[in-house]
Amino acid sequence: MDGIKVLLFGAAADRAGTRETVIPAGNTTLDELWPVLAERHPDLSPMRDTLAFAVNGEYARGDARVSPGDEVAVLPPVSGG
Amino acid sequence: MFDIIEGPIDVAALISAAQRPDCGAISTFVGTTRVDENNGVSVEYLEYEAYRPMADRKLEEIGAEIERRWDVREVSIVHRIGRVDPVEASVAIVVASPRRGPAFEASRYAIERIKQVVPIWKREVWSDGYFWIGSQVGTRERANPT
Repeated sequence: MDGIKVLLFGAAADRAGTRETVIPAGNTTLDELWPVLAERHPDLSPMRDTLAFAVNGEYARGDARVSPGDEVAVLPPVSGG
Repeated sequence: MFDIIEGPIDVAALISAAQRPDCGAISTFVGTTRVDENNGVSVEYLEYEAYRPMADRKLEEIGAEIERRWDVREVSIVHRIGRVDPVEASVAIVVASPRRGPAFEASRYAIERIKQVVPIWKREVWSDGYFWIGSQVGTRERANPT
C-alpha cells in the first residue's frame, strides 16, 4: 500500500470523523504532512497546537522524516489514569 | 507486569503476585471512576482508548525508569480500556520494595508519568453528552473540565 498511514485517536478521531486514513505522499516530514491532513479534515485545525505526533510508535517532532509505509499517529493530550 | 486490558482489573491478584520475602512494603494505587456532578447532570461512565502497542511500551518504560530510580523488586501497572463504570478501577499500580519510602514514591511517580506520556485517552460520558478530557472536544455544551 503506497502512502503514509495516519492513525487518529481520542478527540482527534472525533474531530476528523475517522480513526485511520492514508495520505498519498512520498518522503516528507510531519510538518509538511500536517496541512494535507488538515485540508482533508478541517475540523482538526483548531486542535493543532495541542497535538503530539508519533512515527512508528514513538513520539516525534515536526521535523521528523516520514516515508511511505510509515505509520503516523495523531495524539491529543493524553488523559490516562 | 504491564498490561492494557478490557474488563475489570484484578487488583488482589496483582498484590498477591507482588508479595516477596525480600520486601517489607507493597504500595497500591488504584484510579477509579469518580461521578462528578454539575448543575443537575452527572458522569455516567468513562471510556478509555489506547494507541497500542505504543501505550504498552510506554508502561514498560515507566517500569524501567522506576527500577533505575528506586530500590523496588516488583512493579505492575495495569490500565483498563473501554467503558469503565462508576467506582470501577481504570488503572492499578502495585510496587513492592524492601521499605515503604520507595514503594510510596514509585507508585506516585508511575501515575504521574502515565498522565504525561502514555497514549491513553478518556472520554467523560455525562447524562447530557460527552467530552474528551484534555481536549475540550465533545458534545456537551458546557464542556469544562473542573
